[in-house]
Amino acid sequence: MASTQARTVADTRPDSLWGRAPYPVLVADLRGVVVRCNDAAGLILPAAAPGASLTDVAPAWLCAAHTRIGSPGPHAVPADTEEALRGTIAGRRFEAHPTALGDGSVAWWLVDDTDHQLAREALLMERERTAFLAKASNVLLSSLNLGRCMDVTAQLAAESLADVALAIAPSRSSRLPVVTCLRGGTPVLADMSVDPDDVPGLGEALRGFPPVPSRWIDPAAAPAWLVPEGFGPVGSIVITPLPGHGVPAGALVLLRKAQTASFSSEEEVFARLFAARAGAAMSAARLYAEQTAITDVLMRELMPPALHQISGVDFAGGYRPSADHERIGGDFYDVHPATVEGEASLVSLGDVCGKGLEAAVLTGKIRNTLHALLPLADDHSRMLGLLNTALLNSHHARFVTLVLASARRRGNQVDLALTSAGHPSPLIIRADGTVHEADTRGTLIGALPAITAVTITESLAPGESCVLYTDGITEAKGGPMGDDLFGDERLKRALAGCVGMPAEGIVEHVQMLAAQWLGNRRHDDMAVVVISAPRTHHLSAVNGHTRGRFTA
Amino acid sequence: MRTSASPRLPRSAPLDQLAEQLWEAVSSADEYTATELVLRMLDDGADPEAVLLDVVAKVQSRVGEEWAANRISVAQEHAATAINERAVAAVSVHPAARTAATRGRITVACVDGEWHGLPARLLAEVLKLRGWRVDYLGAQVPTPHLITHLHNTRADAVALSSSIATRLPTAHAAITACQAIGVPVLVGGAAFGPQGRYAKLLGAEAWAPDARAAADHLAQGPLPRPQADHQQFDDLPHLSDQEYTMVARNSTSLVRHVFTALEDACPAMRSYSDLQRERTAEDLKHIVDFLATALYLDDEELFTWFITWTAQILQARGVPEMSVPPALVLLARELGDFPRAARILHAATRTLVTDPTTTAAGNAV
Amino acid sequence: MTTHPHQLRVTTLETQDSVRVEVHGDLDYDNADLLVHEVTAQLTARPGLTDLHLHCAEIGAVDSMGLCALLMISRHTAAAGVRLHLDERSAKLDRLLDLTGTLDHLTAPPPTGTVRSSMTGESTTAIRPTEPDGLT
Repeated sequence: MASTQARTVADTRPDSLWGRAPYPVLVADLRGVVVRCNDAAGLILPAAAPGASLTDVAPAWLCAAHTRIGSPGPHAVPADTEEALRGTIAGRRFEAHPTALGDGSVAWWLVDDTDHQLAREALLMERERTAFLAKASNVLLSSLNLGRCMDVTAQLAAESLADVALAIAPSRSSRLPVVTCLRGGTPVLADMSVDPDDVPGLGEALRGFPPVPSRWIDPAAAPAWLVPEGFGPVGSIVITPLPGHGVPAGALVLLRKAQTASFSSEEEVFARLFAARAGAAMSAARLYAEQTAITDVLMRELMPPALHQISGVDFAGGYRPSADHERIGGDFYDVHPATVEGEASLVSLGDVCGKGLEAAVLTGKIRNTLHALLPLADDHSRMLGLLNTALLNSHHARFVTLVLASARRRGNQVDLALTSAGHPSPLIIRADGTVHEADTRGTLIGALPAITAVTITESLAPGESCVLYTDGITEAKGGPMGDDLFGDERLKRALAGCVGMPAEGIVEHVQMLAAQWLGNRRHDDMAVVVISAPRTHHLSAVNGHTRGRFTA
Repeated sequence: MRTSASPRLPRSAPLDQLAEQLWEAVSSADEYTATELVLRMLDDGADPEAVLLDVVAKVQSRVGEEWAANRISVAQEHAATAINERAVAAVSVHPAARTAATRGRITVACVDGEWHGLPARLLAEVLKLRGWRVDYLGAQVPTPHLITHLHNTRADAVALSSSIATRLPTAHAAITACQAIGVPVLVGGAAFGPQGRYAKLLGAEAWAPDARAAADHLAQGPLPRPQADHQQFDDLPHLSDQEYTMVARNSTSLVRHVFTALEDACPAMRSYSDLQRERTAEDLKHIVDFLATALYLDDEELFTWFITWTAQILQARGVPEMSVPPALVLLARELGDFPRAARILHAATRTLVTDPTTTAAGNAV
Repeated sequence: MTTHPHQLRVTTLETQDSVRVEVHGDLDYDNADLLVHEVTAQLTARPGLTDLHLHCAEIGAVDSMGLCALLMISRHTAAAGVRLHLDERSAKLDRLLDLTGTLDHLTAPPPTGTVRSSMTGESTTAIRPTEPDGLT
């Protein structure tokens, strides 16, 4: 094949057909001397003429290729090496295709592929940027934490857009949160006492008003805090606003070193696309944080309190709302220490009808009312009567069932007064392992015009406990067969094994048994409070004030 | 000032001797002596980390052993744990444990359904001692709570604890959820298997056998940031056969069917009291739960280990009537269409009838 | 759409001055409102009513919202001068009403003392059985 072709070319005069071909052709012999070239070759290599040395008239890459082909070995150049035969001539990119001729000379067919190359490079760049933006979106959208979003923004920007990137969030205080990341480094947060208006365009970007485009600033005019220590001379600085969901999300500051090329217009577009994503993520995180802060404040009052020992009586409580993603619900408990030392503490545990946030709000109202009625704590019936009046409402019959327990240490014992208002009776665990219901009953509160309630008294010896619970425990449906209620009997049986246990141990035990009984099934709110007379191993423990009386 | 009732310690008593004393206090539900004891150790200059890990943690693992050997009841186990918790709380507020936060922030939590909070609590205290800022979320943390917390706090990592293997599917969901929001996860606890084999399977960034190793690991440097596009399913392609889903979803009906069939097969069961029947049903439920977990992990050994352990526990509790092998055979019959389940049940049955330590329980029908 | 096995179903049978409402299924958080709506609709539609019978034998679980619904119904019947009857209560429902101290209140005659006498007694004829839809 090669020899046939070679003969054809050799037989052709320069002024023949190929001589006027639109593609440059150049023939050089074994010694690297130009034998002939056509008109097109003359246009790009003006010095090329028969007799000239290839090294004088052609670029080095072509000369080197010619020498390689001239050296011993197969004359036909395998197709897979063609990739390497590529280079620049007069500012344009060429592919060089050699054809070995019979006499050892080589004809070089030069194809201008400058535009093709440019298109390929542009495509590659676009692909990289798309991949980068997709990755940026993934990482940014995965977190709702503002700090983390700022970290990611600075880090990604430093990876692809600048030598150092600063993500700055708007701040209501005088300190500006700034995350700085050097290329290849880790993001560092600093709260800076600086005025954003010292940097042209930054104040506007952080306020989101008036609207500003990305803005170049004179590196010489940049305040020192903008440039990390040891960064060296700054070549260019661009301030890009981060647009949020209708609110300003912050600003991105990109710095390039003096020796790094400054931003091209494509890079600016790219930076804007990135900024849009970063801004959306940062403002979502900010909104989330604000919502969470509001919810936390409102919810704090509705959360069950942490219980501990008060005046020589052990208290422990546990709560599990019906929806596991919520922290509050329709069950509640409180322990109010007596205002006068030696008087009884008042425990309340109750269950309002309904569940979720709406029920929780009602528990808040009830807890506040009970708190206000504390001066009457020694008369449960009166307290409940007043609570009933306060809750009665003509629009609905939302009620609460609850138990009130007054607990007071007397010697080693704990004296209890217990009143149920339509609520499951408290259970008493005796030292001998028997468990019995406290015989108190009364009407539920908040739905009927008049109520009745019977208060009874009990006494706990050391190691004995009184368990208040809501029906979420006993009505828990599940078990190994799937549809049995946990029930009173099972609860009593479990409590019989809890003699002498610390109050929080009993709470945890009951909660665990109910949870295991339920498995993954739906359930109601569940609350347990345990009142215990401490076991008295040491005289030192009697007053309850010794060190070592800690609660979690 | 010491009260005369405080336990007397020789000045530098070796830690295992102190552990023995703490065990005495804990096992007799004597919370005052227990807390006084640990406070005394700290007053005498003991390293708080050593008190937590070489004394309290040691006593806690003995609590577990004693329960398994049927020397204490579940309620006693809870009592002992509550007392240990108080001891840990006492250590945490002692002046010797006061440490400034010099490192990053770590969230410590137990997987949802995990009631054994003490190991996680110990880790939280150790990390605090090592200078981390720690958020301890407690036992039984629903994954949505954990994720909300992470969004709000920007933890550098989550340390997730689970002791029971049947919580591993839930643990996997929690691990993936943390990773999906860019937070790496270190796991620990008996659930993750020998040498933490399931930790790797479930894609956790790190595993540690105990609190000390976990703290050492975290001290070495930040855990790698998780890949943003990781999916739970990627770790366990075998789940596509739906065997796990079917067994987990129908676990109660499986328990019922096997229970009824077992009554026909073992006449002794008909004279069981309600309580005994419930216990038997609970044992069956555990077997089905472990089978489901073994299917989830595609790990035959987990189930075989559980069955062997159950047989030993039943033996320790003197329950010869409960017959594990027939239950496995009946379960295999119910799950005839599930090749992976059948394979796992077969392997366990084979081990049970050939293992000399369990044949007594296995053969007593 | 799936149907929950314990889904509430309300069937109403009317006579001239008494209404019998049969309740099947759980009376709970998810569907207690339904019964209240049905009863108030009956009270509004039939001003001459003297007695409202809630047939309780087929009621499943009753939670606090279910009890709340019963209390609401008793308020409505009292206001309309209609006597509420909770017929064929299960032992479980009785326990709940007893525990919460609501049994007497729910079944007491209307306070006005103007109870109209029933003409038809218990001869209930099915005129219009209704089954509310829209349950999921």
